[in-house]
Amino acid sequence: MPKFKKVQLVLAGIFTILFFRFYHLQIYQHSKYEEKAGNNSVRKISIHAPRGIIYDRNGIPIVDNRQIYDLAVIPFDVTSQFDYQMVSKQTGVSSSELQEKITRGKESFHRFRPVPIKRHIDFETRSHLEENKLSLPGTIFSEFPARTYPDKAKLTHVLGYLRVVMDMTASIPNQGLEYKLGDVFGFSGIERIYESILRGNDGTEFRLVDIYGIDHGVYQDNPGQQPVPGKALHLSIDSKLQSLIEDLFSGKKGAAICMMPTSGEVLAFVSAPDYDLNSFAGPVPIELWEGWNSDPEKPLINRGIQGLYPPGSTFKLLAAALAKEDGVVDKNWTVNCNGVYTLGDRDFHCWNDAGHGTVNMDEAIYQSCNIYFYQLIQKLSYKNWTGMAEKFKFGVSSGIDLLGEKRGLVPGRSYMNRKYGKWGWATGNLLTFVIGQGDVLVTPVQVAQMMNIIATRGNTKTPHLLLDSPAEKISVSLKPLTWDFLQQSTWDVVNHKEGTGKAAKVIGSEVHGKTGTAQNPHGEDHSWFAGYLVKDNIPILSLAVLVEHGGKGSVEAAIISHEIFKYAQKNVSL
Amino acid sequence: MLRKTLVYNNILNKIFQVPDKIVFRWGILFPVLILMCISLITLKYTSVNSSFFSSTFTKQIVWFGLGSFVFVLAQWIRIQYFQEYAFHFYGILIIFIAITYIMPVIGGSQRWVIVGPFSFQPSEVGKLLLVFVIARVLADQKGNMNEIKLLLLILFMALVPALIVFKQPDFGTAIVYGFIALPMLYWSGIRSYYLFSVIAPIISIISAFNIYIFSIWMGVLVMVIYFNQPKITMGVPQFITNIGCGILSPFIWNNFLYSHQKERILTLLNPMRDPHGAGYQVIQSIIAIGSGGIWGKGIGKGTQTQLRYLPVRDTDFIVSVIGEEMGLLGIAVILGVFFTMLYWMIVYAGIISNKFSSLTLIGFASILFIHLIVNMGMTVGLLPVTGLPAPFLSYGGSFLLSCMLILALSTNIVNHHI
Repeated sequence: MPKFKKVQLVLAGIFTILFFRFYHLQIYQHSKYEEKAGNNSVRKISIHAPRGIIYDRNGIPIVDNRQIYDLAVIPFDVTSQFDYQMVSKQTGVSSSELQEKITRGKESFHRFRPVPIKRHIDFETRSHLEENKLSLPGTIFSEFPARTYPDKAKLTHVLGYLRVVMDMTASIPNQGLEYKLGDVFGFSGIERIYESILRGNDGTEFRLVDIYGIDHGVYQDNPGQQPVPGKALHLSIDSKLQSLIEDLFSGKKGAAICMMPTSGEVLAFVSAPDYDLNSFAGPVPIELWEGWNSDPEKPLINRGIQGLYPPGSTFKLLAAALAKEDGVVDKNWTVNCNGVYTLGDRDFHCWNDAGHGTVNMDEAIYQSCNIYFYQLIQKLSYKNWTGMAEKFKFGVSSGIDLLGEKRGLVPGRSYMNRKYGKWGWATGNLLTFVIGQGDVLVTPVQVAQMMNIIATRGNTKTPHLLLDSPAEKISVSLKPLTWDFLQQSTWDVVNHKEGTGKAAKVIGSEVHGKTGTAQNPHGEDHSWFAGYLVKDNIPILSLAVLVEHGGKGSVEAAIISHEIFKYAQKNVSL
Repeated sequence: MLRKTLVYNNILNKIFQVPDKIVFRWGILFPVLILMCISLITLKYTSVNSSFFSSTFTKQIVWFGLGSFVFVLAQWIRIQYFQEYAFHFYGILIIFIAITYIMPVIGGSQRWVIVGPFSFQPSEVGKLLLVFVIARVLADQKGNMNEIKLLLLILFMALVPALIVFKQPDFGTAIVYGFIALPMLYWSGIRSYYLFSVIAPIISIISAFNIYIFSIWMGVLVMVIYFNQPKITMGVPQFITNIGCGILSPFIWNNFLYSHQKERILTLLNPMRDPHGAGYQVIQSIIAIGSGGIWGKGIGKGTQTQLRYLPVRDTDFIVSVIGEEMGLLGIAVILGVFFTMLYWMIVYAGIISNKFSSLTLIGFASILFIHLIVNMGMTVGLLPVTGLPAPFLSYGGSFLLSCMLILALSTNIVNHHI
């Protein structure tokens, strides 16, 4: 074979080997590398679904969506014209920090990739920066969903707030829903309870992205999926009433809950002090949250369902109901109140040191005489008394659609034995329980619910915030005479000239109520008022108002209640 | 054949002559036109973002025009001039590539001679000069020199510039310098066994990275020595030398290679070793080629290319772009036309009886061949990343010019003799 043929043969051999290497990659392993090329350049982008809007019972929006923005810069595009001072002024990020971030970005391989500068800036700040776009080359904004609270009513504790998923194992309430890092989720209140309704479904979009992360438009081969917005939520809250009560509570601490007795719908729910959900853009900044958390006034606590207070004299209604129901005493059984009652070696006082004189049960309620009930409880069975408290839903959760509700405490015999030992407690303790002091603890929502039960003669529903939700029925059966008595005596509290709740009286309306004073070892007593308003023979509004350190029930709480009844008289109807 | 000689002055007479005839050898030139078309189409779509005049597409057209001009001009060169002055040119080459050591470092290496605003890479045109000097030495032999001595002399002449270039550092060009001597030696009639003996230690060094490959290689070595070396006193030392080379391999690894060269070799063995660093280019190149399939994704539609996942896509990795956008079809065309070109160069070398001219053609073919193989081998992960461009495909003016010059001189030689 001639030499040149040999050389050509070797050449052909080497070219064939090379060709088969290409053949192997392009034919045999084609699908594998096609997938890899796709993974390289096709990015799945999530499109945030707008959360559902929350309306009050009249269709007024109280929680709406707004866009807030994350500011970033692409280091490559930043020129010497870049106005660091302006960005620093608008965002609060120090100028030197900005410069360092951008310089570092420029030197990195990823100089085309956006470097985050400031998260969650609002629309105004963005507008300021956009106006000066020419001196801010390389700045870009990305949208981030946030909430806005357009109404005057704050409703802070009911609404709750959102958080961002930072870490998949962290406390995400609804593990059943799929979350990604950076998603927002309802962390408390209504936002949390109704997360699955409000959330909607995020959409997806496939986009072509180059090696520097620069977007090259939608990937034609896969159209992705449109986001499904979250559903709107209609609350039973009356935002005008809510805002009225919030104003009444300005500078005060405490809670007020108004409900519609027949349906259990919550018309207003105030816990004071609160915090301003509009005071930050986007998720709660950690510094702010820690500030609230360490505040001695405890604004984070939802006093309406988490605040535990002694019910005071409002609790006397239970003993009265039991005595009527079981026929233990009749109308003519009276007690002479001289301001003090001695049991064994201990003195028990009436709030009125001068004494009420001779009182029957009705008078004992509207004048809120303690001495009468000290004697009455000794005629009653302790077990039946705790049973009556349970009938009126004390010591159990009301079932309102909010998380973190406290149950309160109605101390029964076994509880007392556990706490004080079998011989460590005596009738004396019962004397404090019957007037709602001592170990007895209730939440404002429970007191309001008691009023629902009395106002509807035992036919109400579980308290709830969502309008038109199928709330559970509550039925308490007592004798009609007992109901008559409870309604009559609560009417007297407000309307009798010697009633302790006179301050709550509204001319031209049928208002019932009961005052209470919760003894407080840490300072001024807490002031209670619980009652309901009847219009056209139908109870339309029940309430429980607690003002911490508000003095006697006849003072602060009754005055606030008066304002509420006045509003309800005009504006609330079934 | 009548030869008109120019009568200007002595030097011009030596360098230039009116060619007997100018015939375009289409077996060599047609492949170039096809390769240029493929290259320009590819460049057109890899440089979409730059303006018309600054795009690599436009620049490459200008360079190709310039190259065509050089091609025609080169037909007036008197090829014997290079034979007569081969040693002078060799000396100049050594001096120039040595001068680069006192030149500033550009991009981590010293490959350029810079005089005022002009700079050039002497090792580029040096490839041709090395071909001339080797062809001259081999052509001068009239059987009066010991074959082994001749072999060692030629290798020495090739390795001196190769080592200088290697230290610049320019691994790719060093490979070219080291390689072109081998086909020329074979062409001049040196016994294959001697060539084998020269290459064997290099393979021993490389294969020592893997004990199994080394063992297989040693088996092959023993067989070849047994059947070709009758004297046991020569065979045994040869075998021992090769084992020694294998043992010395780690020493060479630690002391002679630059860290980026080591990195490239390690990466070749396992690209996933450092997917974001040295292995990145190769991985992206393989993905580009593999995802191209038979027909390719379409010109300008390669995601790897257009979205810049593929690095240095218009120079070193342009073959990957072609593989992605034109598929196996484009690759087959490239390999086919290249084979045609080299095939005809070998055919002409076989026909031409003048030893110098014949050897020069083989040398030129070797230059083009080694560039193509090293470049394409790199894009599919068969050979380490050396930065050698693909002839007539990669963007780059001076490289295109020297490739055109190689073909011009080849045509000149062929026209002169046939």
